Amino acid sequence: MREATLRILHAGALRGPLKECALVFQETHPGIVVSLEAAGSRECAHRLLRGEEADVVALADPAVFAELLEPEFVARYFIFATDRIVIAFDEYSRGQNEINRQNWMDILLADQTTYARSDENLDPCGYRTLMAWQLGEEFYCRPGLYNRLRNGCPSGAITPKSIDLVELIAQGRVDYAFVYSSVAVQFNLRHITLPREIDLSSPVFADRYATATVAVRGRQFGNTVLLKGAPIEFAIGIHRQTGHSDLAKSFLDFVHGRAGQAILENHGLIAC
Amino acid sequence: MPEKNSPDSEPSEYAVYLRGEQLLQPGLLLLLARQPMHGYELIQSLSGLSFNQEECDPATVYRNLRRMEDDGLVRSEWQTGLSGPARRVYHLTTEGERLLEMMATNARRRREQLEAFLTMFTNTRLRGGGVPLKELPLREEEEEKT
Repeated sequence: MREATLRILHAGALRGPLKECALVFQETHPGIVVSLEAAGSRECAHRLLRGEEADVVALADPAVFAELLEPEFVARYFIFATDRIVIAFDEYSRGQNEINRQNWMDILLADQTTYARSDENLDPCGYRTLMAWQLGEEFYCRPGLYNRLRNGCPSGAITPKSIDLVELIAQGRVDYAFVYSSVAVQFNLRHITLPREIDLSSPVFADRYATATVAVRGRQFGNTVLLKGAPIEFAIGIHRQTGHSDLAKSFLDFVHGRAGQAILENHGLIAC
Repeated sequence: MPEKNSPDSEPSEYAVYLRGEQLLQPGLLLLLARQPMHGYELIQSLSGLSFNQEECDPATVYRNLRRMEDDGLVRSEWQTGLSGPARRVYHLTTEGERLLEMMATNARRRREQLEAFLTMFTNTRLRGGGVPLKELPLREEEEEKT
């Protein structure tokens, strides 16, 4: 096979599984180099809109494809994994011995406790976190919870992509962070799961999730788009302008195949 | 050697599930017998099945679908529309249909056994509950042997 570089622009949360997929793919495709570039999914899409090149695009929300990339940049995109929102922490986090799925908001809102999330304008995990907070306000019958959580998270604790939150915990800069379960698993972080009714994991609660909305920056400067909650899904597609369409298709087939699915599962994602 | 899951084979591990509370795989086969569906729809539909009391954990559903595909009970293909994401849609195979029939046969047999048990239980209660075991009726074949 001729030498070629396959460029993959992907959501930061997919860094671990896609890196391993790339390594295995390279082993079975001599002469092929897979280069990976990570950013928040909305940031990935905006980079493509600004002219950045990529062969394969893997994002943390199919809605980003639909809103920003379809059909001009990506004709088809495929759902390949799901996940859930969890609260991650480590052994040094304040209240880590007491926190559970019933009292987490009281632990987070306690004096001196700090928590972080990613930027809703750049990263789906960011707006999904805000949606989980909204859903939690109703689920736990705690009026005002969403605003209290939002106001209690300073701008310095809002990162461009969810994977950056791991560093904040590791460095002791925050006690808790809202991340995907797969990210907590990949980085061996302690975490608590949230009730299915609010963690955006299950199609059973799709109607309930849709009651949560978050406004984010749109495609045009100054525009905002209102996003509705939905079960978490990850999607992957091929850039229309790729010069390596056969190779890109082979990579997608690998990710969708049993070997790729095993890698996704080993990194805590739910392959689908 | 009998073909896997054929009527002549040993009861498969799928069929065994009907003996317990685990009705996920029979439920998946039953839903796919009605129409092809993708995982997202299957999870939603499973939660509405009156006989399925288990929580529909998406990870469990997707892993079972993969396993059932590896075992030839279902097959999948990508469904793409004019717009929107493509999803993996599952179809029931001939082997899956055959297993579903076996499961239904086992379920009927189990229902008869449970009805017999409940009938005996009700009769025992009506008689005051203190009936010695030796006075309880035996199955026909056991009566023939004695």
